[in-house]
Amino acid sequence: MPPPAPCHQHGTGSLWGAARGHQHAGTGTLLLCRGAGAAAAARALSGSAAGQRLLAARPAALAALLELAVGPGSAAARHAMDCLVNVSAEPAAREPLLAALPALLALLPAGPACGLLANLCREGGAARRVLGGLRERGLGLAPLLQPLGEPRPPAQLGPLLCNLSRLPEGRRGLLDRSRCSVQRLLPFTQYKDSVVHRRGIVGALRNCCFEAEDHEWLLSEEVDILPFLLLPLAGPEEFPEDEMERLPVDLQYLPQDKQREEEPDIRKMLLEAIMLLTATKAGRHIVREKGTYLILRELHRWEQEPDVLAACEKLIQVLIGDEPGPGMENLLEVDIPEEVEQQLQCLDREEEEERRREQEERRQEAQGSMPCSEEPSR
Amino acid sequence: MPVFCLPFLISYTWGSRALLKVLSSSACFIGNYRSALNDAIQAKKLKPTHLKAIIRGALCHMELKNFSEAIAWCEEGLQIDSKEKKLVEVRAKADKLKRAEERDARKAKVMEKKEQCQKEILLAAIKERNIKLALKPSNEEEEISGGLAEISLDGFHSDNATEAKVHLDADGNLNWPVLFLYPEHEQTDFIVAFHENSRFIDHLMVMFAELPPWDLERKYLPCDLELYFEDEERAAMYQLNPEHTLLQVLQHKRYFVKAGTPTVLAFVKSSPFSKKYFSGKKVHRL
Repeated sequence: MPPPAPCHQHGTGSLWGAARGHQHAGTGTLLLCRGAGAAAAARALSGSAAGQRLLAARPAALAALLELAVGPGSAAARHAMDCLVNVSAEPAAREPLLAALPALLALLPAGPACGLLANLCREGGAARRVLGGLRERGLGLAPLLQPLGEPRPPAQLGPLLCNLSRLPEGRRGLLDRSRCSVQRLLPFTQYKDSVVHRRGIVGALRNCCFEAEDHEWLLSEEVDILPFLLLPLAGPEEFPEDEMERLPVDLQYLPQDKQREEEPDIRKMLLEAIMLLTATKAGRHIVREKGTYLILRELHRWEQEPDVLAACEKLIQVLIGDEPGPGMENLLEVDIPEEVEQQLQCLDREEEEERRREQEERRQEAQGSMPCSEEPSR
Repeated sequence: MPVFCLPFLISYTWGSRALLKVLSSSACFIGNYRSALNDAIQAKKLKPTHLKAIIRGALCHMELKNFSEAIAWCEEGLQIDSKEKKLVEVRAKADKLKRAEERDARKAKVMEKKEQCQKEILLAAIKERNIKLALKPSNEEEEISGGLAEISLDGFHSDNATEAKVHLDADGNLNWPVLFLYPEHEQTDFIVAFHENSRFIDHLMVMFAELPPWDLERKYLPCDLELYFEDEERAAMYQLNPEHTLLQVLQHKRYFVKAGTPTVLAFVKSSPFSKKYFSGKKVHRL
């Protein structure tokens, strides 16, 4: 996920002054003054991409900031941490920051630490090291899952989990059957207080759905993922009683003020997650049985966004279409011949291009977060 | 409270493990989940990390249907040992039951709303027709507004099944439960759903197609019957025209529907009994 919105920066004058000061004195020296003022100045500097690059290229500065961030002292530590969160978006900063991984992990589950690690974990190698670090501490993903039991977990926890779930090891941690693991994520598909967190959680769940062996468990009562994926897609529409009774209990008798998920990209990820769950015959059967089609039917009537509509239609097709022939039991594992594969990729690219062009025509200023939409690695 | 537990509660000198074992298992065995829960709470106070106490507590809450508390106890236990199998299991179960409970609450709300809505529509239909309903407790003449709380459409007859209530049919017509009284023989007939546009004479023709067994004198022929309703407040009797529909009768300015069931009295024309019955009452004939 891209970095959280940069912290507020002071007037440009002071920024250039600070930058010049850094260039001469070396940022390390400046920050060793340990004043909240110095950390605040660094934080201001990190508010721009240029500032981030500047800081990222100075390992000494980063080391000093890290020392401040992980140490005691409220204002200075906070400013230093905020600065590092911004800087962590820069690839150049990755190595120096990862060098302090144990100290950073110790700060979990504090929001800024989650944010910083989330930024680092956008890169697979870094994510691997973070997971390794968590493993070494002997707690696995527990420090990240535990805060999900609280009413207001840090907003950056979602993005961190999403980025970790792009790796198989990350998914294994989330799909740990011996613990209450993925179950903790489920209530957050409806979490109103933070779009960033909600987006991250949905992304993590979608990524977990790539594990076909876990589909039956995910769809079973032990996890019961489906209602939580469908609930944000459901509206206030009333169903006749016989249809209502077919739906999972969480989707029955929804109040008249029920609203659907506002963010189109999150709606799309939810549909993709459900689509993944229909890869196996057993999964398709369960998804059908639980009246998924009814929810999608109403969604289709309401949906305006073209790519969400397309995803919805694709899923409806799977639910009402014929069963695939033998040898296609798990659609995720079907061997696609090389030429067909290439053709499909070409078509996909064209479709993407088309959509992107349409979006650009309508696009306003880009907002902060974008979905974690890349395919997880195998 | 199970008697043989009492002495044990006093002796907190026992090791908490032994104490818990005796208390909880015996209380659960008797099925007294509430007291077992109290024991688990006590044991947890003595030793907050005692997983067995936490598990028992969670299970007791499950049995007592306190699903939120059960989940909270599981969470406490999972903080101590995140892999505790029983706790993971119970948490999943409690969560599922809690969600089912939430559904039931939503359903009840929706059903209540629907019922309320239907009641309003019904009352609107009745009001539209200028039919007056009597307030349940008193016999006072009061115009009934839309006030739902005061309106009683409940049947007062215990044997006529409370299911018999006035209702709107698919065509938007009211169908009423109607009671026919035959004071001479202290008999009754009950029509479950009298369509408001059907005539009394048509019903009488069916009802008395075969004369009832109590009609020993064989005189209750449909054409020989006179129908009345009683205005108790004014000690008056109003005769109905059998050729009229129920709606027409109900719209009579002195007609009040009591307990949601229109009542009609039937007498044999010019019978000595009817003469006796009418004495002292003001009778308004057709």
